[in-house]
Amino acid sequence: MPDDLLILDGAHLTCADVASVAAGRRVGLAPGSRAQMVAASSGEAARSGHEVLAAKWSWLMGTPQGEGAQRIFIEGHCSGVGEPLPVPQVRAMMLVRANVLATGHTGCRPEAADLLIDMLNRGVTPVVPTHGDVGAAGSVPLAHMVYVACRYGGEAWVEGERLPASDAMRDLVEFAPTELEALSLINGSSFATALGALAVVRAEYVLSAFDAAAALSMETVRADSSALNAEAIEARRHPYAARVAERLRGWLSGSTLVDRRRDPDSFSIRCTPVVHGASWEALAHVRSVIDRELNGASDNPLLVSTGWVETGAFHGAPVALVMDHLRASLTVVAGISERRTFRLTYGKLSGLPSFLVEGSGVDSGLMLAQYTAASLVSEAKGLSHPASVDNVPTVQHHEDHVSMASVASRAALEVVDILADVAAIELLCGAQGVDLRMQAGETPGAGSRTWWEAVRARVTVWTADRTLHPDLEAVGAAVREGVFRVQP
Amino acid sequence: MADPLVLDGCSLTLDDVVAVARRGRSVALCDASRARMERSYAWVQRAVAGEVVDQHGDVLPVYGVNTGYGSLARERIPMSQACELSWNLIRSHAAGVGPSLPLDAVRAMMLLRANTLAKGASGCRIALVELIIEMLCRGVTPVVPSRGSCGSSGDLAPLAHLGLVLFEGPSGEDGGGEAWFEGERLPAVEAMRRAGLSRLVPGPKEGLAVTNGAQLTTAITALVVEDARALVLDAEIAAAMTWEALRGVRRALHPSVQALRPYPGAIACAANLRALLEGSTLVDSVPSRVQDAYSLRCAPQVMGAVRDAITYAARQVRIELNSVTDNPVILVDEDDPNKAHSAGLFHGEPVGFAADHLKLALVELASLSERRVYRLTTGALSSRLPPLLPAPGRPSLGLMMPQTTAASLVAACRQRAYPNSADTLPTCEDQEDHVAMSTTAARRASEILDMARRVVAIELYAAMRGVSWRAQESGSPGPAMGAVYERLIGHCEGAPGSVVEHLSQTMAAGGLRDEVHAHCTLQEVPDA
Repeated sequence: MPDDLLILDGAHLTCADVASVAAGRRVGLAPGSRAQMVAASSGEAARSGHEVLAAKWSWLMGTPQGEGAQRIFIEGHCSGVGEPLPVPQVRAMMLVRANVLATGHTGCRPEAADLLIDMLNRGVTPVVPTHGDVGAAGSVPLAHMVYVACRYGGEAWVEGERLPASDAMRDLVEFAPTELEALSLINGSSFATALGALAVVRAEYVLSAFDAAAALSMETVRADSSALNAEAIEARRHPYAARVAERLRGWLSGSTLVDRRRDPDSFSIRCTPVVHGASWEALAHVRSVIDRELNGASDNPLLVSTGWVETGAFHGAPVALVMDHLRASLTVVAGISERRTFRLTYGKLSGLPSFLVEGSGVDSGLMLAQYTAASLVSEAKGLSHPASVDNVPTVQHHEDHVSMASVASRAALEVVDILADVAAIELLCGAQGVDLRMQAGETPGAGSRTWWEAVRARVTVWTADRTLHPDLEAVGAAVREGVFRVQP
Repeated sequence: MADPLVLDGCSLTLDDVVAVARRGRSVALCDASRARMERSYAWVQRAVAGEVVDQHGDVLPVYGVNTGYGSLARERIPMSQACELSWNLIRSHAAGVGPSLPLDAVRAMMLLRANTLAKGASGCRIALVELIIEMLCRGVTPVVPSRGSCGSSGDLAPLAHLGLVLFEGPSGEDGGGEAWFEGERLPAVEAMRRAGLSRLVPGPKEGLAVTNGAQLTTAITALVVEDARALVLDAEIAAAMTWEALRGVRRALHPSVQALRPYPGAIACAANLRALLEGSTLVDSVPSRVQDAYSLRCAPQVMGAVRDAITYAARQVRIELNSVTDNPVILVDEDDPNKAHSAGLFHGEPVGFAADHLKLALVELASLSERRVYRLTTGALSSRLPPLLPAPGRPSLGLMMPQTTAASLVAACRQRAYPNSADTLPTCEDQEDHVAMSTTAARRASEILDMARRVVAIELYAAMRGVSWRAQESGSPGPAMGAVYERLIGHCEGAPGSVVEHLSQTMAAGGLRDEVHAHCTLQEVPDA
């Protein structure tokens, strides 16, 4: 994690930044953004903003404005239910919302962003329930965040302790939002976007691990590397497939195992660059949308050069669609990986002992590793059902189309986590296969050997049955830490 | 503390499962089971000793006793390695990953495994069942990862994690398992020591005896069935409150109407709604209204179908609770020197179907309930209740966001409702070429139940708020709904999420059903 301050300017926030702040990095506000926010929240902008807001506010509240209206408004949005979200997810959301404010289009004073930044830097993390957001307009998770930030109520985590908001916020500068600020702090898809950013970073680690695992599998089954031929791959014109093939060629270079020309390999081996490449391309698209959204003014109304405008800029559809896409595209790669794992553990298909263990049947070897991979892939398939295609009309048919982006993003994080173990299992089986090949005097490519070493640094070769679970845990943790990360 | 539940392999009920899993009821083993277990155990010992031979005098292969596992059944294992074979199975099959299962699911799984072994067809020692029972009684609960089971040939990985706590190796080796004891997560060896229990060295076939069968699938599904049976009654109470708030028309609930399309669930649902609304002067009070919207009028049809689906699932689970799920099974009374029959009794499909069907039913229960919340909060649809149902007498956003939250929960339920049983992947060198994926179905059903309960709680919240506004008008709720209202309306202040959680917890604890009990008798969802 970078230990320098991350400066928010409403324009340059990336998925990796979100992950770093989720993990504890400190944050600051760019002077330029501060000036923009001051301009947008004072003078004529403030006066006209107040007029726009007055109409909207009375529609929303159905009551005259007045003292305490902000509190009523925020508290009314605290309808989340279920287990509290993990602290990193809440931190990511706080950061993303602060950056939206830093765009200068929301009319918030810089103090609103300062408040969230101060909480991030002091490790005050609101307790936010998991369920309840539809990813359009008034955001339930953001409301729970603001409830604590403005000391209206709720609870927050501080150094692992769950405290009432007033205690947790005791040492911070007090902040009383204007009506516009109360609305602006919660009106957007920042929750789904924040989770999406974390999912992108984690998905990249997992997808990288699938590439590394494929190299070990190709070594193990003595793949015919003509399937990686640069000219042939480029003739198909998919750039990410070409990159995967290039990586694999590099890793397999110098191997005595591959290139023994015979019958063509099975699809799960031969089509690796095409399938993995398609998923890398999907991830690149997902990342580009999330990166944009991280710096987009997801709020309503918005201040533009001609004044305040009422728009639909809060709708989470862009995020929902890519989060659905991310799940499906990662699950496809996990599906081909599981078939390679099946092949590695299948004596007749791998040319190695069944379940990659020498012996007479007293040892089951890595038999169950493949079962677990099959179960995980199947679970991910189920969770790949799209959330964005659903809609439930809300708020008296005024908010009659919503995005379900938060459902899509939460499921994406879950699927990425599930599939990390599928990659770990192929790595485990592939490393075991390479060991058996090396015992027979063969040599893998130098790049493959690096991945083999990364596995062996954590897990010893399987010679006789032992408890499998710790091996899965150790390699799974390495996948999640990004040990197998490559440049997309 | 109630008398111990006596396991005989034949008479375990859903209520027993809940009592042991959640209320700590103690367990014992019946004598008849001991006798049956003794005989099948004795036969396995003969097989291990090489005394079970064919007509040529050759030792018969018995799967998993003197052969390898899965596709390795082609390999013969020397008798001297029979125990090692079992110990290896436990360790190499402990392949679960992901977050740990909740304690009640693990306890239910242990109970079910003990009961299936009590049928005496597995050839394991009585001491093995006694040890599982003692762990239940003393509160040693294995740490079992939630992911990674295919449900065929059973919940191998989750049950192997139980095996890591039950067993130690032939030389006293520890398999690295963990268990909860008195709130602490401990190494298995330490948890068992603190509980005063000694671990066993697995005997021949005992690895299979512990792991073959979909007990985790069934355990979770059993708990969901019981929770769903309760939730349906709570949903009927919440729906009745909506009827009161919206001045619904009762004619759709008439028994003669329901008899024309006689689904048992619909008939029971309509009867319950009638009973709950007895004495109300809010209902049937709008002379001009001929019929209500579907979310009210079709409640017996939709919620009745939900009831019937739960009954189907309950029946499947009840059969499974008292089934042998092992492989091979030892049939000591058969007139055949080879008493071991390799079969497919472990396959999780029958329970996986039930779990998938439960998912569908619970999604629809939630979906219908959400539409009533929408109606209650939409000014144009709510028989002149104030739009969004603000609290009487002071400014508020009303229940705008709880309805949104209900919409979100319904979408999340739907997103997870994909039928896991519809999927399979070949495993074990194509020997296990069709698996159930039933465990995933059960876990999803449990998640959907938790979300559906919150939706019903939101309906109750909105409907009570609606009834509050009727206080200034003519008419009043019947005694049953009046009692629920009086008991809970005082808990409807503060941030709406907290209100919903409170109502949800009250429902889960039986508070709603208790409240109406004094006024009417509700028909439960039959469990068979």
